[in-house]
Amino acid sequence: MKNNFKRFLFNNSLIPPHNWRKAATFLVALIVGLGFFLLKISNATSYLSDDPQACVNCHIMTPQYITWTRSSHREVANCNDCHVPHNNIVNKYFFKAKDGLYHASVFTLRAEPEVIRALPPSSAVIQNNCVRCHQDQVTDAKLESFVDNHIENRTDRTCWDCHREVPHGRVRSLSSVGAQIEPIKEYSPTDLSIVPEWLKESMKSQEK
Amino acid sequence: MKNWILFLGTALIVFLLALLSVNILDRKSEAKFAYQPKVAIEGIEPRDSIWGLNFPRQYQSYLKTKDTTFKSMYNTSGHKDMLEEDPDMVILWAGYGFSKDYNSPKGHAYAISDIHETLRTGAPMEAGDGPMPSTCWTCKSPDVPRLMSEMGVTEYYSGKFSDLGSQVINPIGCADCHNPETMKLTITRPSLIEAFEAMGKNINDASHQEMRSLVCAQCHVEYYFDKKKPGAENANYLTLPWKDGMSVEAMEAYYDAIEFSDWTHPLSKTPMIKAQHPDYELYQMGVHSKRGVSCADCHMPYQSEGGQKFTNHQIGSPLANVENSCFVCHREKVDALVTDVYERQRKVKEGTTQLQREIAMAHIETAKAIELGATDAQLKVIQKGIRHAQWRWDFSVASHGAAFHAPLETSRIVSSASSIIQQTRIEITRLLADLGFNKPVPMPDFTSKSAMQAYIGFDIDKEFAAKQNFLEQVVPQWLKEGKARESKKSVKSISIN
Repeated sequence: MKNNFKRFLFNNSLIPPHNWRKAATFLVALIVGLGFFLLKISNATSYLSDDPQACVNCHIMTPQYITWTRSSHREVANCNDCHVPHNNIVNKYFFKAKDGLYHASVFTLRAEPEVIRALPPSSAVIQNNCVRCHQDQVTDAKLESFVDNHIENRTDRTCWDCHREVPHGRVRSLSSVGAQIEPIKEYSPTDLSIVPEWLKESMKSQEK
Repeated sequence: MKNWILFLGTALIVFLLALLSVNILDRKSEAKFAYQPKVAIEGIEPRDSIWGLNFPRQYQSYLKTKDTTFKSMYNTSGHKDMLEEDPDMVILWAGYGFSKDYNSPKGHAYAISDIHETLRTGAPMEAGDGPMPSTCWTCKSPDVPRLMSEMGVTEYYSGKFSDLGSQVINPIGCADCHNPETMKLTITRPSLIEAFEAMGKNINDASHQEMRSLVCAQCHVEYYFDKKKPGAENANYLTLPWKDGMSVEAMEAYYDAIEFSDWTHPLSKTPMIKAQHPDYELYQMGVHSKRGVSCADCHMPYQSEGGQKFTNHQIGSPLANVENSCFVCHREKVDALVTDVYERQRKVKEGTTQLQREIAMAHIETAKAIELGATDAQLKVIQKGIRHAQWRWDFSVASHGAAFHAPLETSRIVSSASSIIQQTRIEITRLLADLGFNKPVPMPDFTSKSAMQAYIGFDIDKEFAAKQNFLEQVVPQWLKEGKARESKKSVKSISIN
């Protein structure tokens, strides 16, 4: 296997001549190094997690993040619960990578629209995820048996055709939200205690 | 040739990779500014207008606490002379500041101007003058935590009201409840933290929902000025009497045990306790608290504007905004809900109105007994009864919202006080009979504030004139000095646009 690869390189004259080898190795190392640097500054590992704050690494998603943190879904579902498929783990990460790379490309090219909307493949995933949790609310065996078009009524539209404010509200363009008040981890200080530092110190000095 | 292509290809890839990293770094620094505040809030910033640059919706709704047009059955967001409303109170508080002047509470934005204007704070023409200690400023302004952190807490409590006139100029605002770095709710008044410690609790364990009430409990609670605190003997140390519990009886026993009195009543010579405004304590006894509803849920309901949901900072009566406050849980008509509130208020007030008249009469009857030569030993049980009855009456009325926050508990307190004052008046009648006076004691005209104030010998015209002088001469000077001090503090912009 290893020899085959070497032979392939030699046969196609892809190995630089002897006196160039050092320079070539240097360049390849540079690519690899830059690659690691890219992984680090882009916070690449955070995308493997389910932490919603990973989704606001790029600030374009801030309106979505802010509206979600003010919705009741905040308590029970994070971004990935709705926006990536959960039928199997391979599909989950495949879809996440596909969507993520698409987002990254749009963001890098500064081609993001003022109002972000889900694309059809994404809509399908979201709809499945609504049903995944709310199955009991959308399937009713009794109704099915005596309401003629019960199945069509449930399947020919998406949940958010009616539940339009769930969970991001109706107005969610890039310019419609205010400042992010609750700290996003990446930029927030570490001390989040209730009693301010000066008061802690003053009370400590009184005890003496 | 192939080598050259390989070389150039690799170089191009490196170039593009570098370009991509620059782009990522670029957009990361952009993220620090997009949707982030416009100015840096440094240290304890008492000026709301600076915070308002970052949080315009919250600030603008806060500014609406200046609105004085709201009126409910008994209260208002504007001016109302409570002594005119219930002149009996002049007798109850005779010899104490509240008999001079007592108005219904206005919005937070008036905290500073109201304390300047009330006759209770006197007319101190020089620093160090006047009847009130510096502790009186404690709940009025975010300048207070600033001063406490600069001066030290005990030192802050150790001055005169007039010492800090040019320091405390901003009404209750952002820095009183918010951590400037994280915007999380924070406790800036040591008294609440100390009270939690005294109860053996740690306030840092409070959840966010509890904090939505506890920030209010920094001020809307019963308190007293401890003048004997070890290590702070010269201070009027603001203390909450919660060590043995938050019920009216527990605090009464606490005050009795330390023999505390706010003042001695000039008619009945009783060592009195003034209840302040135990809103938080009474709210905890009510059903809304039991179901986990916080102060902010009703008094600062959520509101939507554009795409953003935010907390309305126009803190005031939920009756002014039933749709946003009550409707979150209750689906009745506005009229039905308001009627329910009024019903509770009317019924509790029926009890407190009778009660306060009886206590006022007890003071006057005791004064008669003293005039006829009653001894301290004979008066002891009577004075204890008056002390307890009036404390309980005050506890149930002073917080204005008690009748709704905890109607059952408030009625219980009122009936216990009624029973105490009935017993006490029987004792007084016996004592008067013993002293040879077996007739009704002559009573003054209970229906007018001015008649009542004349009866207790309070010269309102003189104090009013002194106050006007103070408001014209001293207050503008305080504000001018304060503004000049603040203008030296620069504001740092962190916005890129």
